[in-house]
Amino acid sequence: MRSVPVAAVVLALLAAAVGGPLLAPHDPTGVVAAAWQAPGPGHPLGTDGLGRDVWSRVLAGGRDLVATAAVAAVAASAVGVAGGLVAGWAGRIADQALTGAADLLLAVPSLLLALVVAVAVPGRAAVVVATVCGGAPLTLRVVRDAVHDVRHAGYVEAARARGERPASVLVREVLPAMRGLVAADLGLRLVIAVQIASALGLLGFGAAPPAPDWALMLRENMPGVAANPAAVAAPAAALGLVTVTLALAVQTAARHDGGPR
Amino acid sequence: MPTTAKAAAPFPSSGGGGPVRAAVPVARTGLLLVAVSIAVFTATDVLPGDAASVRATPGATQEQVAELRAQLGLDRPAWRRYADWAGGLLTGDAGTSLVNGRPVADAVAQRGAATTALVGGALLVAAPLMLLLGWWAGAARRTRGVVTAVLTGAAAIPTAVVASGLAALLSGALGLLPAVSLLAPGVSPLRSPELLVLPVLSAALPTALFGAGLLSGAVADTLRRPHVADARRRGRPAWAVACVDVLPFLLAPFARVVAISAGGLIAATTVVETLFGYPGLGSLLVSAVAARDVPVVQAIAMLAALVVLAGLLAADLVAAAVSPRRTGPLGEAR
Repeated sequence: MRSVPVAAVVLALLAAAVGGPLLAPHDPTGVVAAAWQAPGPGHPLGTDGLGRDVWSRVLAGGRDLVATAAVAAVAASAVGVAGGLVAGWAGRIADQALTGAADLLLAVPSLLLALVVAVAVPGRAAVVVATVCGGAPLTLRVVRDAVHDVRHAGYVEAARARGERPASVLVREVLPAMRGLVAADLGLRLVIAVQIASALGLLGFGAAPPAPDWALMLRENMPGVAANPAAVAAPAAALGLVTVTLALAVQTAARHDGGPR
Repeated sequence: MPTTAKAAAPFPSSGGGGPVRAAVPVARTGLLLVAVSIAVFTATDVLPGDAASVRATPGATQEQVAELRAQLGLDRPAWRRYADWAGGLLTGDAGTSLVNGRPVADAVAQRGAATTALVGGALLVAAPLMLLLGWWAGAARRTRGVVTAVLTGAAAIPTAVVASGLAALLSGALGLLPAVSLLAPGVSPLRSPELLVLPVLSAALPTALFGAGLLSGAVADTLRRPHVADARRRGRPAWAVACVDVLPFLLAPFARVVAISAGGLIAATTVVETLFGYPGLGSLLVSAVAARDVPVVQAIAMLAALVVLAGLLAADLVAAAVSPRRTGPLGEAR
């Protein structure tokens, strides 16, 4: 299981994002110095437009974003896996109805969907809806194909011959065979959920000021980018680090667990 | 929105090998457009927070809101409102903005030019770049794993991060470009091209990386075909192999990848335009969502869906037209 170190890196990163607020040296929302100060002693990343410590805000700014993305990714994966199991197992009609619906959902970019949904519901719910609508169809297709591959495997036939119900065959026999696939897929959904959450946050539909939030910081600190580039570069780097690490972890996990690719 | 290669592989348009008559994809696109319009209408009009509650003055009583609702025709059944709205769209009437009472079509037309310049410029940058990167990744042999890892990792970076990173570098640290567009609505962005550099690059780079990841598989598959090895053995020079034996096989996947990327590109304009203060449709959509200006949101969402679906349809038709497989061996195809 070479995916163990990968999982450790990802967990450490997520723990840092979630536990970051505890490490902040200053109050992330408190005014501590003059506005737009370049990095210097006491303020390793300088200050933002209201004189708040950028380092403290970067440490505190990932928790809600990552938590929202995690909820959205789990929801998308769960819906997609359930749909894929049914589409792969049930007859032609259910299969075609489900994959047809999935194709339809895929025709619209997720971010556009998130924005349209954000008219009616809060930003976090929009992230979840868009991640599910944009991600579950892809999960569904991957899982459906995997179910097709194993549905006539010996151990599955044996379970059916024992007279087990379809639901129990799917959950006890088919699903465990796909755990690498499902793990890699969950990681991908997480990457996409972070992308959607950061876009919505930057557009002003995520955290509300003065809360620290990486995406919101990008937008707030853009006017002062000439005075203190670190105020923009630091939250951008934090977001980039999370998404790139997740994407690479997905690739590694998929390669070692015999998942996609 | 750019995702990793695996994510978009089973896109609806990627099916349908063999000769496809134009009528089937056209009809499918029409049906999809109707389905999208129902979804957009449901998400914006039927879900809570309708136009009357947006327009009503703060502190209005229940009766006043109800009266306004009747005045706006919102008390009619949803299907009739949908029919009116969809019928209006077909005749070019997208309704009036709830915020300023002006026709939505005018605002969309005014902002559309700026977004067209942005998306067009980004496609011009992204399309050749994705072909080059995809070719590089697909042709790499010993380093293939590393190259695809780099592409996958880079493609995962959110547009918001690319845009602000570029701004921090080019305009913050190096001071080369203005960080904010400061372009008056209605003024052609072509008049001050330096304002387009950051938005175009920010939209183009994630698109190129995403497309390259999708293309690299097609490149690798094509390079593995027997006729490519044959041509090499016959001593055909590398550039000729690339142009004659490989490129024609990439046209169909390339068209599809460009079409899929265009969808992500349109979504990316919301982020890029908002961040740089660029007055296009993306920033108009964002401000309309914030103000719950439902007719504006509906019109822009439908326009974006129309462009995406038209792009996929065009790619399907291009793919059907240029696919070398249909015309047998490559020699006869060209």
